[in-house]
Amino acid sequence: MTPVFEVRHLTGPDDAPVVFDISLLCLRGKTSVVLGPIHAGKTMLMRSLLGLDRARTGEVFVEGERFDAAGESEERLRRLRTCVGSVFQGAALISRLGAIENVELPLLEHTSASASEAREAAAQLIHEVGLDIDPEATPGQLDRDEQRRLALARALALRPPVVILDEPTQGLHAHAAAELDETLARLQESHGFGTLILSHDPRYAFGRADRIYVLAGGRVVESGTPEHVRECGSDVVSRLLDRRGAA
Amino acid sequence: MTSIPLNDTDGAGDGGRSGRTTPQFSRPAGRFLGRWELFVTASYWLAWLSFSRRTPMGTGIAREFDSLGMGALRLVIPASLLVGIITIFQLASQLSQFGAESLSVRAIGWFAARELGPVGVALMVVTRSASGIAGELATMRTNGEIDALRAMGLNPVKYLVAPKLAALLIAVPGLTILCDALIVLGGWLGSVAILDVSTRFYFDQFRQAFELRDLFIGLVKSIVFAYLIAIVACDEGINVGGEVHAIGAAASRAVVYTVLGVLGADTVVNAIFYFIPILA
Repeated sequence: MTPVFEVRHLTGPDDAPVVFDISLLCLRGKTSVVLGPIHAGKTMLMRSLLGLDRARTGEVFVEGERFDAAGESEERLRRLRTCVGSVFQGAALISRLGAIENVELPLLEHTSASASEAREAAAQLIHEVGLDIDPEATPGQLDRDEQRRLALARALALRPPVVILDEPTQGLHAHAAAELDETLARLQESHGFGTLILSHDPRYAFGRADRIYVLAGGRVVESGTPEHVRECGSDVVSRLLDRRGAA
Repeated sequence: MTSIPLNDTDGAGDGGRSGRTTPQFSRPAGRFLGRWELFVTASYWLAWLSFSRRTPMGTGIAREFDSLGMGALRLVIPASLLVGIITIFQLASQLSQFGAESLSVRAIGWFAARELGPVGVALMVVTRSASGIAGELATMRTNGEIDALRAMGLNPVKYLVAPKLAALLIAVPGLTILCDALIVLGGWLGSVAILDVSTRFYFDQFRQAFELRDLFIGLVKSIVFAYLIAIVACDEGINVGGEVHAIGAAASRAVVYTVLGVLGADTVVNAIFYFIPILA
């Protein structure tokens, strides 16, 4: 099966590399998880592969289309970013806009949708992620779970083939986290996008990932199926599992 | 989910200028060049917003105008009246030494339109809004909102800076005209109540001394000041550092640099008028 998203030999950011020689892939409709402790370089990996911080070396492929992570023009980076939905740690919703405006923003910018079509599509997405909120409510008026769901709706607005989520359930109550995870799985099944999750939570890795990349010190130290990674005896995985068990 | 075809994003929608937005965040060529670049990019988006029907920023400009312009009325109205009264007292006090007290009435019109109005309004807007603009953008940057915009392929200057610039370019000249009128009104109040000047005499003298050119020069100044406030305050906010105190420091710097910028620009304009009298 051709990967929907692939990263090859990514080292970045350019001025002070934090992640080194990262290669990973994500298949359509499948979930890959980058699992690593806090400060392992997960967020910087996300920033580098989206071009928010220019990488020193590396390539990114989305549905076979190649992007140079180290030297791509802003126009090409814009193209890359419309093909990759992103949910940042803490949601990063635009605080001055209402909920529905947050979701319709990429539609108005990148599609030929009229204002009413964009609003209708945004309302549908908000419904699909399981939100029942005032569409004009600002992010500050939403709780953390609602903010994450809204960020997910925004990430899906352009129907990207792949969605990257940075610590999607961090700070959520266990019940809310499980429900968000279920929503994500349901949407992934219905829309068929590939998912790349960056997390320190082994629950994702061993609960629903199809492929796991263990990140430590900015490098992938182990990768493979959950079963393979669980049995490989990696210190990083053992520590994460022990911590999770203790918690 | 509704399927909406993607536009061709290669340079579309922003005239291919999005590449110009990145350097101002990394600021490779120093603060001045960074601001100049922001000035050029924001001006481009301002023109784009002015002519584009397809933009969600219409509401953004209205919201900014409400905040930056209408919100300043409760400061500008009383302050302008008081400035008018103070000015007429000061002028009358100085000119009375030469028996020319009545000239104070002639002076207030052009002085308000050329100097007090535009500079006063600019300083009031700075006092009230510069730190707010810088603080808002700095908070957005710290919260990752600006990166989120970029990650969606959206230009932060278009969505955050251009609406503020547009709102200030409408609000500051508008407030300046209001301020000019209220200074003249304050001068009339002071003249009639304290200096025992008749209303008819006051406005006769005002009409004789005041020229539309005075108002025009004041408005040109106010447009320059609006640009300065928007660009400097936004630049300070967008380029905030990651330290704990960075947001507060950016807000403070925004006030300091915009005040100095407004007074510096006013000095330059006045010097031009002084040395090239034909322009004055």
